[in-house]
Amino acid sequence: MPSSPAPAPPGLSRRALLAASAGLALLAVGCTPGSSGGSAASEQADRLAGQVAVQESLVAAYAAAAAADAVLGSEVAGLAAQAGDQLDRLRAAAPSPGPSPVRPSLSAGAPPAGSDVRAWLRGQVTAAADAHAGASTGQTGARAALLGSVAAGLRGHAAALA
Amino acid sequence: MAEDGARDEGTESAALRAVLAAEHAAVWGYGTVGAGLAPDSRPQAFAADVAHRDVRDRLVELLRQRGDDPVAAEPAYALPFPVLSPVDAAALAVDLEDGVAAAWVRVLDQAVSVEVRQLAVDELSAAEVRAVGWRAAAGRTPTTTAFPGL
Repeated sequence: MPSSPAPAPPGLSRRALLAASAGLALLAVGCTPGSSGGSAASEQADRLAGQVAVQESLVAAYAAAAAADAVLGSEVAGLAAQAGDQLDRLRAAAPSPGPSPVRPSLSAGAPPAGSDVRAWLRGQVTAAADAHAGASTGQTGARAALLGSVAAGLRGHAAALA
Repeated sequence: MAEDGARDEGTESAALRAVLAAEHAAVWGYGTVGAGLAPDSRPQAFAADVAHRDVRDRLVELLRQRGDDPVAAEPAYALPFPVLSPVDAAALAVDLEDGVAAAWVRVLDQAVSVEVRQLAVDELSAAEVRAVGWRAAAGRTPTTTAFPGL
């Protein structure tokens, strides 16, 4: 430890991080301004809508896992809630915010009978994270930030389910 | 942040310099983390330290290739709180990972190249996975977060 404290850099300054991230969060929620113009922006918006569908499937997968294994369902209730929060944010950022119905049995399927439900769920989480991470590189600005953050959050879910 | 939506190589480089500064801080901070942990947890800190050193070196090289001056490490950093126990050490590690996560999200927001965004999403994810382990070690719940870095 230094005897006289040095200025805290971004990595250690909570206040600076909170200020910066709060601004970014606001952008992510309302990310419709033209960070890219014309057809490129339209294509990005369409792709973001596609990621809403991916997240809907993941939310359905959490529900299906809980239905198949009540103990696991209780354990992962917090993760499922976070997946729902992610879905809400993605819907808010997508061009057509009207929520589409979540149909667990249709969109995500269910864990095969007799299978390891936790492993199945982890696979679903990883697949969604892969999809969001891949999509984030094709986006710009707040959309890229939002998708990248959601992907990272799901990597954390997968780690928690390991 | 270019809130008007204008992003170019300049905004990307600025964000890369900022994340390099955060990585410097993480490398420094993990020295304190490792010293504060119980011996059986130190391999986790060592692995994280190595990961941050690797990313730091990669960023330095990337910035040099672009003709930008890499940000140098500070001689020392102020800890956000005293590290007096293994739980404190794990909590510091959480702060370090959350700090670099925020910087990587900013890179995603400011980047103009696919390659840089790929690097950012990969490292943001790695930081969050490490943070999950540290939150558990610090006794925090939940151990996950919906929006790392945001």
